[in-house]
Amino acid sequence: MKIFVCIKQVPDTETRIKIASDGNRLDLAGAKWIMCPYDEFAVEEAIRFKEKNSDATVTVISAGPERVKEALRTALAMGCDNALQVALPENADSFMTAKALAKSIAAEGEAHIVFTGKQAIDDDAAQVTQAMAEFLDMPAVSVVLRAEYGANQIQAEREIEGGSIEKYEAPMPCVIAAQKGMNEPRYASLPNIMKAKKKVIKLVSLADIGVTADEIKISYSGFTLPPERAGCKMLEGDVPTQSKELVRLLREEAKVI
Amino acid sequence: MYLTIKPFLVLLCMAGAFSYFFYKTKALIDLMRAAPGGVIIDRIPERTFMFLREVIWQSSVRRNKPIVGIAHTLIFWGFLVITVGTLEMMVEGIFHGLTISSLSPTVHGWYVFISDFAAIGVLGGVAFGFYRRLVIKPDYLTNGLDAKLILVFTATLMISLYGYNMFRIPLEPDAFINSYFILSTPLAAMFGLNGASSSLAFAGTEFFYWVHLSMVLGFLVYIPNSKHLHVLSAAPNIFFKRLGPEKAFEKTDFEDESLEQYGIANSTQLPWGMVLDLYACTECGRCEEQCPAAMTGKPLSPKKIIHDLKVDLLSHSKTIREKGDLGAIPGFVQNEGEISPDVIWSCTTCRACEVSCPVGIEQISPIIESRRNLVQMEAAFPAELQTVFKNLENNFTPWAFPADSRADWCQELGVKQMSEHRGAEVLYYVGCAGSFDDRAKKVATAIVKLLKMASIDFAILGKEEKCNGDPARRAGNEYLAQMLIQENVETLNKYQPKTILAACPHCFNTLRNEYPAFGAQYHVVHHSQFLRELVDSGQIPLNNKSDERITYHDSCYLGRWNGEYDAPRALLKSAGVKLDEVERRRTKGLCCGAGGARMFMEETIGKRVNIERTEELTAKKTKTVAANCPFCTTMITDGLKDANQQDDVVVKDIAEILLEATGKG
Ligand code: SF4
Ligand code: SF4
Repeated sequence: MKIFVCIKQVPDTETRIKIASDGNRLDLAGAKWIMCPYDEFAVEEAIRFKEKNSDATVTVISAGPERVKEALRTALAMGCDNALQVALPENADSFMTAKALAKSIAAEGEAHIVFTGKQAIDDDAAQVTQAMAEFLDMPAVSVVLRAEYGANQIQAEREIEGGSIEKYEAPMPCVIAAQKGMNEPRYASLPNIMKAKKKVIKLVSLADIGVTADEIKISYSGFTLPPERAGCKMLEGDVPTQSKELVRLLREEAKVI
Repeated sequence: MYLTIKPFLVLLCMAGAFSYFFYKTKALIDLMRAAPGGVIIDRIPERTFMFLREVIWQSSVRRNKPIVGIAHTLIFWGFLVITVGTLEMMVEGIFHGLTISSLSPTVHGWYVFISDFAAIGVLGGVAFGFYRRLVIKPDYLTNGLDAKLILVFTATLMISLYGYNMFRIPLEPDAFINSYFILSTPLAAMFGLNGASSSLAFAGTEFFYWVHLSMVLGFLVYIPNSKHLHVLSAAPNIFFKRLGPEKAFEKTDFEDESLEQYGIANSTQLPWGMVLDLYACTECGRCEEQCPAAMTGKPLSPKKIIHDLKVDLLSHSKTIREKGDLGAIPGFVQNEGEISPDVIWSCTTCRACEVSCPVGIEQISPIIESRRNLVQMEAAFPAELQTVFKNLENNFTPWAFPADSRADWCQELGVKQMSEHRGAEVLYYVGCAGSFDDRAKKVATAIVKLLKMASIDFAILGKEEKCNGDPARRAGNEYLAQMLIQENVETLNKYQPKTILAACPHCFNTLRNEYPAFGAQYHVVHHSQFLRELVDSGQIPLNNKSDERITYHDSCYLGRWNGEYDAPRALLKSAGVKLDEVERRRTKGLCCGAGGARMFMEETIGKRVNIERTEELTAKKTKTVAANCPFCTTMITDGLKDANQQDDVVVKDIAEILLEATGKG
């Protein structure tokens, strides 16, 4: 049984956003790169699946430049069996990434389940899961909080607006995209970190899977930083005075009513 | 007839007792020799001096507990003296008539003179022991049958000695030494034995001879299995113990590819020094009495963990000595066992235990080693720590702040960075609290103002600074700690600062005591020491001294870990402040609850340590509490909030108090 997990390496949540001098991309030199936190739930879910199904092997895949190896090693240390880096350029978009991931998975053999995180926390596009499933011709359930794995189908509970839960049943193979809370991702033990350091990461080039740079559909231009958040204002006095003042401010200063 | 068989009887009893004793002690020694770790004996003269002071002069037993200590000293000295006589009795039992007198009657005379006093001293000590165990019964003292039995043994041993002497006087009325029995002679008179018939005298002498001998031999048999093992192990343990307060945890060599175990999981992995520690424990409970975890209802007691480790080790003694199935020996930390994970995670590494232990046991070492095993081998630790580890990995600080913003706190202060001012005299190592925590940033700002006032040429590392490694190391994540340490070491070695100034005792301690093992040996000072020098040399003029009464809180890492109690006090005094000292201060200062990475863990069991400490500090009813550590400041401030006293009492760092005294705050 082949289980795949797709992970993205993203700048740490605390990274300060800087715009490159050309204004068309972010300057991420010096950023600390981490595995996208949603993907950690996906990795954990895949490993837990493996722990329950002794015939399962977990391959972790990341598409991106050399640096993504670090995220792959983290996943290996957590317990994935193999790792695969699809050499994608920095400016790859969701479309190209989805296609590259789908093709590399297909090249590895018949997938049983493909796990991903529901979205990446850098661009928050939430596109790759669905597009990749389409390329793989698999059903996909995203924002999954709980999944039960049967022999041929998966029952998944996904979170929707307002905290309600939708229940789905999907035939395998399928794509499951994890939501925060699906599990508690483990901290890798040191012997596993050491072992992960020595594992070979398979490199897949664009040529190997027949994907070209033409697949990039989106280009970016003209980044600006959001305006600095103005300080908050505390209203004084009793409730009626505060209400009056609030209305006045909303009307005169914020000009929203 | 009796006199013919007596030597054989004595010999038989002695052979039995001694062989059992040697058999038992050999097993203990073999067990210790099977333990990993090499023996390095350095600084012999210092060790010898310490041995004389702490063992022979018994100073460590009297420290903090003078009355108990005097009682113990009397028993210890008494035994040293009386053992000579006991040996003489053994010899005489086998070779009738062979006594010290056979060598020199004068020496013998003087010996019995001293031993008469020694025995009464021992009896005095024992009497106090009974009083303490039957009447006072302190909570911290393990008060089992074991200890009481030993007191009975000891008392009987002394009484039988007097009995033996008293009957010997009428038995050999002309003996030279009789005039030296300063106490036994009047005692014999008191009991009307002076005119006793020779047969009565003989019977009495022999009776007490056998009582005495059986007590001594019984003692010998009893010792190796009891807490009185310390009679044998305390002295070597003290000889080998750490010299001075500075302590650095054992460095794991991650380059060593053969390493398969990180930290200590079971008793086969305890190094010999720890094994000797376990043997040496007297169950006196001095450590437990001082332990903030034990006193606030946590499952940890340093006395108990040492005892439990010893019990665990001895239960596997045979397997370990005979190199049996070592793999089958379970870990000593078990969820439902005596040493549960909560025991291990309750420790604040305050070191009150180690400082109060009269026999030099290091209770924290097995705790940290155990944490290393739990974190690194099993990834089992309080959930809160996962975020801390991730933050440390990604942002180089335990909190979720961008590493990029480390120097933001001083943007408006015009503080230079080492990268632009390489030759600065002083490197101010700000630390994570000073860089990111709003309260501690104010302290850092005060320090900058004071340094500028004194025209000190200083710079900070800015973005190049990383967490010093203390929280990760004390949380058992040695691997992560070493990553941080190594990066800092590289940065420090690039700039080679003449002096490193740290305003956090944790940074101070790690940089000073732990970095040398990683190749960074620098002159590191805590701000209390540095500012004190500046005040003493007149570089910080104090024109606005206050005469406020202030309660001072000793931090563990400046105090017990580095032995600095005076500099902060002197600084406060020079600011005009009147110090109101609490009971638990200096070596006995109570922890705020934050050390040992406890700052970053929930505290759900028992009373919170910071509340216990805050209550003591506020009992002095001063408006200000002075601290020297950002974590203490936070913990006590939280304690004040908890008691709704945040408007009545404020916690200030000594630097802030000093700045106020300059009038330019
Ligand atoms: S270091 Fe402090 S908290 Fe830990 S066992 Fe010793 S006294 Fe208790
Ligand atoms: S560890 Fe030291 S202080 Fe604690 S009970 Fe044992 S001998 Fe006493």
